[in-house]
This record gives sequence, C-alpha cells and structure tokens, in this order.
Amino acid sequence: MEFLSLISPLFLCLVVGGTLVGIIFGAIPGMTATMAVAVCLPMTYSLGLENGLALLLGLYVGGISGGLVPAILLGIPGTPSSITTTFDGYPMAKAGEGEKALRIGIIASFCGGVVSLIALFFFAPALANFAIEFSYVEKFLIILFALTVMAALSSDMLMGIFSGFLGIFVALIGVYDISDGGNGELRLIPPGTEYWLEGGFSLLPVLIGLFGLAAILEEAETGVKQGQTMDDVKIGGGGGFSLGIFKGQFVNIFRSSGIGTFTGILPGVGGSAASILAYSNAKTFSKHPERFGKGEPSGLIASESGNNGLTGGALVPLLSLGIPGDSTTALLIGAFTLQGIQVGPLFIGNNPETWNAMIFAMLLANVAMLVMMYVAIRYFAMVVTIPKHILFPVILMMCVIGAYTINYGIMFDVWTLLIFGLFGWVAVKLGLEIAPFIIGFILGPSAEVYFVKSLESFGDLTIFFTKSWIALVLWVLIIGSLAASVYIARNKRATDQLA
Amino acid sequence: MTFTRRTILAAVSATALLAQPIAAAAQELPRNVRLVIGSTSTGGDTYQNSSIVADALAEHLDINIKVDAVGATEAFKALERDSRGTTLMIFHDQSYLGNLYGVSGYDDPFENYTVGPTVAINPGNAYLVPKSSEYQSMDDILTAAENGERVRVAIQPGGVSEIGFSAMKNAAAVRSPGSEENIVAVNTGSQSDKNQAMWDDLADVINGSIQANEQFTQLPEDDQKAMRFVWITARPATLEQAPEQGMGETDRAALMQYAAPETSVPLNEEGENFTFDKEFFFLFNPEMDPAIIEQIDTALAEIFENGEIQERQKASFFIPNFLPSGEAQQHLMDKRDTYEQVISEISGES
Repeated sequence: MEFLSLISPLFLCLVVGGTLVGIIFGAIPGMTATMAVAVCLPMTYSLGLENGLALLLGLYVGGISGGLVPAILLGIPGTPSSITTTFDGYPMAKAGEGEKALRIGIIASFCGGVVSLIALFFFAPALANFAIEFSYVEKFLIILFALTVMAALSSDMLMGIFSGFLGIFVALIGVYDISDGGNGELRLIPPGTEYWLEGGFSLLPVLIGLFGLAAILEEAETGVKQGQTMDDVKIGGGGGFSLGIFKGQFVNIFRSSGIGTFTGILPGVGGSAASILAYSNAKTFSKHPERFGKGEPSGLIASESGNNGLTGGALVPLLSLGIPGDSTTALLIGAFTLQGIQVGPLFIGNNPETWNAMIFAMLLANVAMLVMMYVAIRYFAMVVTIPKHILFPVILMMCVIGAYTINYGIMFDVWTLLIFGLFGWVAVKLGLEIAPFIIGFILGPSAEVYFVKSLESFGDLTIFFTKSWIALVLWVLIIGSLAASVYIARNKRATDQLA
Repeated sequence: MTFTRRTILAAVSATALLAQPIAAAAQELPRNVRLVIGSTSTGGDTYQNSSIVADALAEHLDINIKVDAVGATEAFKALERDSRGTTLMIFHDQSYLGNLYGVSGYDDPFENYTVGPTVAINPGNAYLVPKSSEYQSMDDILTAAENGERVRVAIQPGGVSEIGFSAMKNAAAVRSPGSEENIVAVNTGSQSDKNQAMWDDLADVINGSIQANEQFTQLPEDDQKAMRFVWITARPATLEQAPEQGMGETDRAALMQYAAPETSVPLNEEGENFTFDKEFFFLFNPEMDPAIIEQIDTALAEIFENGEIQERQKASFFIPNFLPSGEAQQHLMDKRDTYEQVISEISGES
C-alpha cells in the first residue's frame, strides 16, 4: 500500500477536476476525450507523473462518459464512441424520458468502467499476451464482425447494407496513408479537389454533420415546433427511472463491458467499434430485438457499458506493451515521456506505486463521474426544454467550433461538417440509412488496411479461414450475427404483414 | 470640405510617419504565433520537442506561441498561406526524405520553403531482431543476404523509418553487389504494427527506437516479445551526448556498441559508415521577412547560451543541437544529398 503516500489532496482534486472537465468536453458535440487530454497534456509537465496521470485519467473517463449527454438529449453523439447511444437514448428523450435515459446511461457507463478496471488490474499482462495473438487477419475479422451490425441496424436491410458500403466508399477517399503502411497514393478524388481531399474527410465533422446539422436542417424544413416543457420531460423524481430496469441486464452489462474491454486491448481496432459490437450483440441476443432503435433500455445499456469498458481495456496494451489501445491513450504516452518514464512490458513491475496510483485514479474517476453526472442530470435534462430557436443556433455554433478545432484549426473540416449536414438531410429523403452509413464510414478505413495487409503478409484469401482458431471463432460469430439479422428482419416483416 | 495641396501633403506625411512603426513591427515576430508541426500526435517526439522550443522562445521574446499538431500536409499548406511570420513550422528529416521517396504532399523543402535553425536530435532510431534470432549483428544480416538468405525488414515506408532500410540495402550492395535484392521491406504502419510483424514472424528485423523498444530487450529470451538491438543509426558524436545512464537498463556505453563505428553499415567502398540522426528544425514561408528569421536565430542563440533548454531536452532524451539558419541549411542539404545518393544507388530495388 505504498502507493497511498502518492495520494495527496492535490491528486484527489485533479482526478475529480479532470473528470468534470472531461464530462464537459464529452458533452459538447465535436469535442472529445482525446481533445481534452491533448489540451491538458502540456500542464502535466509541472504536475509530476502521478498527479499528471490523475488529471489525464479523470479527463479520459469523464470525456468518454460525457458523450452520452448530447447523444441522448440531442441525438448528436458527443464522441464517436457514443454513436450507438443515440439509437435508443434519443428516442427515449423524444418520448419525454430523457432523465430516465441519462440515469440508465450513467449507471451503465459506471459498470463498464469498473468491469474494465478489474480486468486491467488483475489480468493486464495476460490480456496483453493474448492481444498479440491478433494479427492483421484476426483484426480484419473483428472489424468485419462489427460491420455486420449494419444489417442489424437497417430498417430496410438492402438499403441499409448499401448505405453502409457507401459509407466505406466515402471513408476511403484520400491518400492511402503511409502511416498505415500504405503507398501514399491518392484515390477516389475528383480532379481538381486534391488540395482539400488529400487527407479525406475527418470523422468528427462527418459525425456531427450527419447527426447534428442534418437534424437542424430537418427541423428548419418542417418548421421549428415548440420544445418540450418541464412537464413533458418528467424532470425530478427519477424521471420514471428505477433500478428495476437493470433487472435481467446482468449478462448484457457484463458482455458489453467485456466486449468494450477486449476491443480496447487490440491496438488500432478503435473505440467506436467497442460500442458498435456491444450494441450489435445486445440486439442479437435480446428477446425483443424489434424494440432496438426505438428507445430500448437494453440498447442504451449495451452501448454505454461497451464504450466505458474501453477505458480500462485501452490501458492494457499501453501499460503492458507500451502500445496505445486507442487515440486517447496514445496521448497518455506523452505524459510518461514528459516525465522521462518508459512504458513497455516492464512498466508495471518497475513502477508498482505508479501502477496502483493509476488504478486508484481510474476507480476514483469512475465514482466521481457517477456522482457528478447523477447530481447534474436534472440540469442536463433541462436542455431539451430550451426553445429550439435558441438551442439550435447554439448547437450549430458548437458544431462549427468543434469541427474547426478537432484537427487544430483546419477550415476544410468546417466545410466537411456542412457538406455532410446537407448530405444527411438529403440522404434520408432518398431512403438511405444514416446509421449504417456512419458505421461503414468509421470502420471502413480499418477494414481496408487490415484486409490489404493480411493479403500482403500472408498471400491469399484462404488465410482468413486458416490463420488460427481465433479466426474460426470470429467467422462463427460473423455468420451467427448475419443469420440473426436475417431472422429478425423476416420475423419483423411477418409481424408487419399480420398487423 | 476642400482638399488643398498642403492638406494632402500633410495627410501623406502623417501616414508615412504612422506607417513607420508598423513597418518596423513587420520585421519582428507577431505577438501571437502558430507553430505547426509535421505530426498529428501531441504525444510524439515532434510535439514534445517543439513545445520545449516554443515555450523557451515565447518566454524569451515575450510573445505567445501555440503548437498545433496538424500533420505534414496541413502544416505545409498553412505555412504556404502565411508569409507574415504568424505561422512557423517545426519538423524533422521526414520533410525532405518524404520528397526523396516521392511521397504525396511532400515538396522539396529546400526549394519551396526556407529551412531555418536546427534545435535538437532524437538519437533513438534503431533496428531490432527477435531475441532468439540467429542474427547477432548487422554483419550477420548482411552476410546472410550475401549467402542468398532473404531478410525481411519491417518499416513504415517513405521516410525516417525507410532510410535505414535503404542504407542496409546499400551496404549489402557495397559489400556484395546483387545481395541487396535479398533484403526486402515489409511495409507496415505504426510501431505497434512493426512489433506485431516481428511477433507474427512476418519480419526478421524491425525498425524501432531506443525509447519505444528498450524494455522489450530486457525480456527473457523465451518470451515471444523479447527483442535485441542490432543497429542504432545515430552518429557516435550524437550518441556520446546522451545521458550516461542511457535508457532503462541499457546504459550509454551499451547503446554505443550498436552504433557506428562498432556496428558497421558501410555507406561506400571508402570505408565510411552510414549514420542517421533525426534532426528537428524550423521551416519558414519563403516570402517571410529575413529579419524575422534573424530574430529567431538570435533568440535561439541566446536561449541555448543560457543553457536551461538543454536540460529540458536531455531530460526527454533529446540531444540539443542548435545551428543558426545558414549553417543548418548547408548541413541539412549535405545530409539530404548523401541520402539522395543512397536512395538512387538502390533505386528500383527498394
């Protein structure tokens, strides 16, 4: 317990303060946990290692968790990893159950964070050793598995899959980056637009354009209606929430947190895949899959426990191999480097006090997140009562600022926001489905890199079936997920015909 | 209101007088400066090194400097747009290596921009093999290539990571023409990908760094993840300036065993060894007022004379390396010419 000597009042304040700032960053569309950590990283130089990490881990947990607020209340994912939270959280808010949805999301986030923390504390080195069994082939199959959610999320399966592939196509515009092992060549760029499209479209501007701006344009077209009143949103008294909602959700929480943690330990697979996989599995195994996407608490629980499950998971390769599990933990390496500390396979053994202090900071950050967000729910939920003629311009302004700042001041990102806002508005009229599109857009680049690298490394397509037992298990899951989606779609069609 | 000749003359004189301080101010760095860097990471060595320099420069000149990690392509674009001195750039050898390797988005920095002062070196560029590998040294690797064995080297193509690979091929060609064909690249991405290529037995040698890979060299041989250094590309004169304790469990003396001249990767038949230091330097808009460059040179000279910045750089395993613009340009152009020669010698085979 020598690490307790490192726990000072400043340490505690930094964890709590970091969590609060992280929640605020996560709650503003276009601002992310990664951005919060990036902004505060230089401050850690003067704080010392443990205090610096306390701040950054608070920001990380807060930033991932805060994303659920706009996802539920406004239908705009605060961070890419909260995209699936919009699928059921937003319908609940529209039905006046915003406070209830927030409470469910916060508790699920807490559970996900704690489960992943337990995994990190007890199994980090073993999980890291397991993670290196995943080569390009297995990583491609995991992405393919996540992509099967496109079928599950579609209201019209054919159109949904088409939208998903369109998303992949759009994501591949730009250079095949040498930092991914590519050849640095440009592709899919219309002549004359190379200057702007060389780097492709950034994820965040696309995301907030499709979910934020498109919704505002839709409202503008139909005419801004009166917002919900305090009575409509059931604020106070729990908003219809009771812990009974979690009855029967143990498996869902544990499975989703486990998926989040496991996705986190695989470097490069990406945080967004965690909640997508968790949501997809929750729907597949649900007794009422038809309720998903319409305000089903199970979907919200899966999404939030999945994305917070990532927080501990992504630290596994960082602290056991010196390899970051996601973009935010990549920044944490900077905090160690600033203090002259190496992270690698010997880190935990060589720095037990720092390791224990980090675990304690993560635990405290999760508790602080739970308490602060729970207390603030009432105020968060009031967002939906703000008149839309005030709310929408503010959201629009925040979206533009978020798009401009996400890559440290690139104006084309603002144009991207506007282009995809318009696209999102028109696409719905054309029958395209936005959720599969964005999932294709998020996962497409990883799918491409892992597919190409698998073939470059191992020679031919048979490797996807013969590489390892892990590949075979993943194929079973992929086929199972697709079969479940087809079964659910047929059932739904039969029910609709009977009705 | 009527304008007489005298009124107009007075107005022109007043304007000229007012313009004087503005013209004078234009010869100095503005109050707020954006320092763009060629990396998108705020946790990497480019950001870390740039923020150390930016902090020191901002304090010395009493101005605000913000480091923006926009990446190479966007940084070059930002630099092109601004000749007022509001946007400066720091990057490293990738800026001209990208051009030499023909990577999209990399123009010749010596032609299209003004190369400014150098500030630091990261001496960590290294090559590693699995700890259980039969290759004990670079000599073993080059001998294996001579004997017709295929040696696979995991790199990130198109820059700093590839130049050492090009040097290996060049060395093989110098020792035994034709044997360079047996040294082949495995194109990967991040350090994580290169490590994974080794663990998946897709690569016999990987590019890495002292900072990122040293701990793997401490693992027992039966650990799948264990690695061993075979080559550190830094010049011996550079590595000699590293902290005596080195990195982790490997002290400076041990690190120097993997660098020239103890570890030899021939550059040519005259017996010279290939070396590569990853040097960080400023890049400016070519239209920027030379007075601003002079101001930066002077300020950096004073900062380095003061000596505090060197402590911060060394604490982060950087080697302080200030050269004013003129010297830096010549030094980097010479360096570029050497690498251009290496790449052209092996062109068509890498």
